[in-house]
Amino acid sequence: MSAAPKPDDFFNTKQIRRLIALMEKHDLAEIDLKNADQRVRIKRGGEVVVAPTAQAARTAGPAPAAAAPPPADSKMVIITSPMVGTFYRASGPDSAAFIKVGDRIGPEKTVCIIEAMKVFNEIPAGVSGQVVAVLVENGHPVEFGQPLIKVDPEK
Amino acid sequence: MFKRVLIANRGEIALRVIRACREMGIETVAIYSEADRDATYLQLADEAICVGPAKASESYLRIDRVISAAEIGNVQAIHPGYGFLSENSHFAEVCRSCDIGFIGPTPEAMAKVGDKNSARALAREAGVPCVPGSDGIIANETDAVRIARQIGFPVLLKATAGGGGKGMRVAADDQALAPAWQQASAEALAAFGNAGIYMERYIDRPRHVEVQVLGDTHGTMLHLWERDCSTQRRHQKLIEESPSPRLAPETRKAMCEAAVRLCKTAGYHSAGTVEFIVDQEGNFYFIEVNARIQVEHPVSEMVTGIDLVKAQIRVAAGEKLWIEQKDIVPRGHALECRINADPAPAGSSRSTPPVASGSGGIRMPRPATSSLPITTRS
Repeated sequence: MSAAPKPDDFFNTKQIRRLIALMEKHDLAEIDLKNADQRVRIKRGGEVVVAPTAQAARTAGPAPAAAAPPPADSKMVIITSPMVGTFYRASGPDSAAFIKVGDRIGPEKTVCIIEAMKVFNEIPAGVSGQVVAVLVENGHPVEFGQPLIKVDPEK
Repeated sequence: MFKRVLIANRGEIALRVIRACREMGIETVAIYSEADRDATYLQLADEAICVGPAKASESYLRIDRVISAAEIGNVQAIHPGYGFLSENSHFAEVCRSCDIGFIGPTPEAMAKVGDKNSARALAREAGVPCVPGSDGIIANETDAVRIARQIGFPVLLKATAGGGGKGMRVAADDQALAPAWQQASAEALAAFGNAGIYMERYIDRPRHVEVQVLGDTHGTMLHLWERDCSTQRRHQKLIEESPSPRLAPETRKAMCEAAVRLCKTAGYHSAGTVEFIVDQEGNFYFIEVNARIQVEHPVSEMVTGIDLVKAQIRVAAGEKLWIEQKDIVPRGHALECRINADPAPAGSSRSTPPVASGSGGIRMPRPATSSLPITTRS
């Protein structure tokens, strides 16, 4: 039995589905795979910066106050909410905010707190770069996957 | 009455509950996974909150996220729908401790009727006939043989934590028993995480008839008569109808009264279904209780004229049931047909499922539309 992949391996839906699942699992926006004379490129979700959808807009805070995104926006990374809860910029009402626009941050840096069921969860950045924008107002509710912080990874 | 309710479910039942709430002037908060982001029924809710990625275990089944959504959504109660967390007594418990109303039975009543084995004990206590069976989980193969001989072959092995026909095997004699027991245990463990098996006499060609019950927190327990669900495919219901086409009036009455008696004994309230099987001689035997509103509830609604979801909400808000048993007189005949999507056989061209629109006397639980893709949410 031949161990080499069959010629149409890339393009069977089972394989594609698996790739998409992997992308979702690792939160990848785009993959580009080559194998001999075959190539598959999958882009997920389009533009990474997204104003909350119609459904989310009703529940999330005000839409991000942003000008039309410049082309460079596609290089931005968005830190999204891993849970449902209330977004806080600082550890207490009298404390300084964890981050502000212009700050350089590393992946371990706590960028905000999301309170869920009376538990205050510190959310790490998960990326390095410079904070470009904070997309949610302090004390506002956030849903799973909601964009929180915009970071420029190249700065 | 609640001002705002969160629906911890999706699809057809979410829409059903949203509609009931709207008609009652109650605001609604819907939750959704990323797979359901574009579902049209979400637009009917006052708010919609994303609770996770496509996988149900990471979204609809995440108690923490559902409760958080309830908190940021400012709701007074949660309707769990069916499936998902609807029969999860721990979830009902969490709701209670977070001071959020749970539109369903108490965690205690749910747990009592939820385990098929303990439900049988409850039935015996309430004087409700059960299929002759083991007095609990079968410990080992030796016990299995002994009990089977007591009950009388053929016997049916069933998973105590089971449902949907999984973890079930028939054994016609001693020889068939050991392999049947092993297979049933293995299947039960894989499907439900619980290998416990109990045993009953196998009833040949039974009719499957269930009773819709409805109770409040003021001591009233009613039944909305029966639904016959005998037409099944791979142990899954295909057609449900009311009244049952082959039930003598005395049997019908006795069965419904038995269902009410059982639920009263369990301290059960809200909507629920008590399942029976009826043998060829017309004897009925208790099988299990489904502590939730069911997919086929509209069948009972159509013959009785009672809105079960609104009743659930009213009862959960502490209201006394406004109907009396003598006033529940079924009229006409109602049928529900379940339309299933099977994977297309190899070589055939894919086609989207057919769509029919409801009209006069036909109720179409949506949201199956020709444009809604069938997503897999394993």
